[in-house]
Amino acid sequence: MAEAILEVSGLVKHYPLTRGILFRKQIGAVRAVDGVDFTLHRGETLGIVGESGCGKSTVAKMLVNLERPTAGSIRYKGEDITRLSGRALKAVRRNIQMVFQDPYTSLNPRMTVGDIIGEPYDIHPEVAPKGDRRRRVRELLDVVGLNPEHINRYPHQFSGGQRQRIGIARGLALRPEVIVADEPVSALDVSVQAQVVNLMDRLQNEFDLSYVFIAHDLSVVRHISDRVGVMYLGRIVEIGRDAEIYDHPTHPYTQALLSAVPVPDPEARDRRERVILTGDVPSPTNAPSGCRFRTRCWKAEDRCAREVPPLAVPSRLRTPSGPEAHDSACHFAAVAAVAGHSNGPG
Amino acid sequence: MLLEVRDLQVEFRTRDGVVKAVNGVSYGVDAGETLAVLGESGSGKSVTAQAVMGILDMPPGRITGGEILFQGRDLLKLREDERRRLRGAEMAMIFQDALSSLNPVLTVGDQLGEMFVVHRGMSRKDARAKAVELMDRVRIPAAKERVKQYPHQFSGGMRQRIMIAMALALEPALIIADEPTTALDVTVQAQVMDLLAELRREYRMGLVLITHDLGVVADVADRIAVMYAGRIVESAPVHDIYKAPAHPYTKGLLESIPRLDHKGRELYAIKGLPPNLMNIPRGCAFHPRCPLAQDLCRTDVPPLYEVTGTDTTRHSACHFWRECLHG
Repeated sequence: MAEAILEVSGLVKHYPLTRGILFRKQIGAVRAVDGVDFTLHRGETLGIVGESGCGKSTVAKMLVNLERPTAGSIRYKGEDITRLSGRALKAVRRNIQMVFQDPYTSLNPRMTVGDIIGEPYDIHPEVAPKGDRRRRVRELLDVVGLNPEHINRYPHQFSGGQRQRIGIARGLALRPEVIVADEPVSALDVSVQAQVVNLMDRLQNEFDLSYVFIAHDLSVVRHISDRVGVMYLGRIVEIGRDAEIYDHPTHPYTQALLSAVPVPDPEARDRRERVILTGDVPSPTNAPSGCRFRTRCWKAEDRCAREVPPLAVPSRLRTPSGPEAHDSACHFAAVAAVAGHSNGPG
Repeated sequence: MLLEVRDLQVEFRTRDGVVKAVNGVSYGVDAGETLAVLGESGSGKSVTAQAVMGILDMPPGRITGGEILFQGRDLLKLREDERRRLRGAEMAMIFQDALSSLNPVLTVGDQLGEMFVVHRGMSRKDARAKAVELMDRVRIPAAKERVKQYPHQFSGGMRQRIMIAMALALEPALIIADEPTTALDVTVQAQVMDLLAELRREYRMGLVLITHDLGVVADVADRIAVMYAGRIVESAPVHDIYKAPAHPYTKGLLESIPRLDHKGRELYAIKGLPPNLMNIPRGCAFHPRCPLAQDLCRTDVPPLYEVTGTDTTRHSACHFWRECLHG
């Protein structure tokens, strides 16, 4: 496997809840991210999936240093970046860039496309000398499939898909090594979504990029990712190579999540066996003890309320070492047929 | 036919010009049937539904042609007060965004009960009891207590259930659901779609499901109508269309979605962008993006051809539907 470029360990982000104005006291915390570990290798795409409120966007913000973690570390090439400041932080930021979800609000409507894509050079002037910037911006427009002649246009003159290309071009401007993309295609129509996904695929090969690709759409994540982590209430519950997660999930939450995805094949309608979860995701201010998924899990027993299941290869699945032997945070991890699946017996 | 839309045309007059949102849409739904109307943003699927419900903003909207027959009566010829009596009682709509469709300063009990007070002349007390019954019906836990709560106190999935309860309140013959689960997480989406399907069967309602999600369509629809640039480009029973699409746009859409059950290398992408509705291409609106386009497509608007040689009734607005179907 290629070298590790990002190593995340024990990452925690709590947002305090306070009461009172003059004498503010903390009455609790939103535990948005509560102990996340993963490694991103050079040239790979790590997909992170999960439902709203699971903490996936907070992880993204911490990776690019927009939020400071409450605890834990993020190592970029061995160096912990969470405690950096000043010049050292700036240098790291150049190498880890972000692409945002909403192409409508993440571009300044009063700036031209040229200024938007060129703005990173104002902050990191060492990357491109002043006289060379327009040329580089034109080049970037061309790379992401936009007309370089449109350098003086404003964001509103572009469609949603084109705007997302502008956001990607801005992310590429500093020639970063890592791109963190938070729901980069979920605001786009199906036909345009495919264009942007293909573009991101191509750029990865061209510039040797490593991606952290965050999304709620499980099909898109499978398409683009080499490895996938599934998050629930601030923790990763299962992580592995894409086929391990999608064809051999062992965590009940992953199994339920996959079975809930509508498959675009009406013939599969009656054959599918679906796990329909009851209830809603509990609030992150008051997460259940032990395993956080136990309140919605059909396998839950007393043990699940007492012991937090570690994210590791379950001992029962360790031999023989097949695709089901991957990290899964469940006391009762087991392979179940996920219906609607080519590999499942469903 | 419970609902039949015939050659509907809707345009919006804006400062910049006339936006032709709906350009001759025809579709029908029987009682107990689910019709999925599939399309991307700007295809006219929601505007058509708003015209059927009679909630189109006019002006700037204007219905310039066509008929909307509901139980045999042309809705476009009715007076506003007659239509108001139909809305809620005979036809109801479920919107995408439940939080902004519910009134934030009224309890959900008051909003559900209002249906019975206004349409059935019930007392507030009886209406409250009905509201609790409905919330039970859509499986909201602890309905008796929660009936006094406000919309913001409910989760997204629960709010969408309240919208469904409201639509069902007077047992209408037709429900139009406009992207009812788009804002919801996938596990909650499954709960809500299941509930909707079950209730539709129970009440034998006609359901028009407006969506952009080919997965959801495959799960619940009987028939499907695909829209592009304000027209129906293909309509067929749901099984046929996934097996062999008869329009290049449908085909492109089906090929461009990433699949959960297998991993491809590169996604097929329909080239170009959807058209500007102020300036729809001549001939077939899809021709600039179509791999099958010929000279004929650039000049002649394709009618909705009947697709022959299949056992079911299918239509395609493509001059070359044969090539598409067999190619």
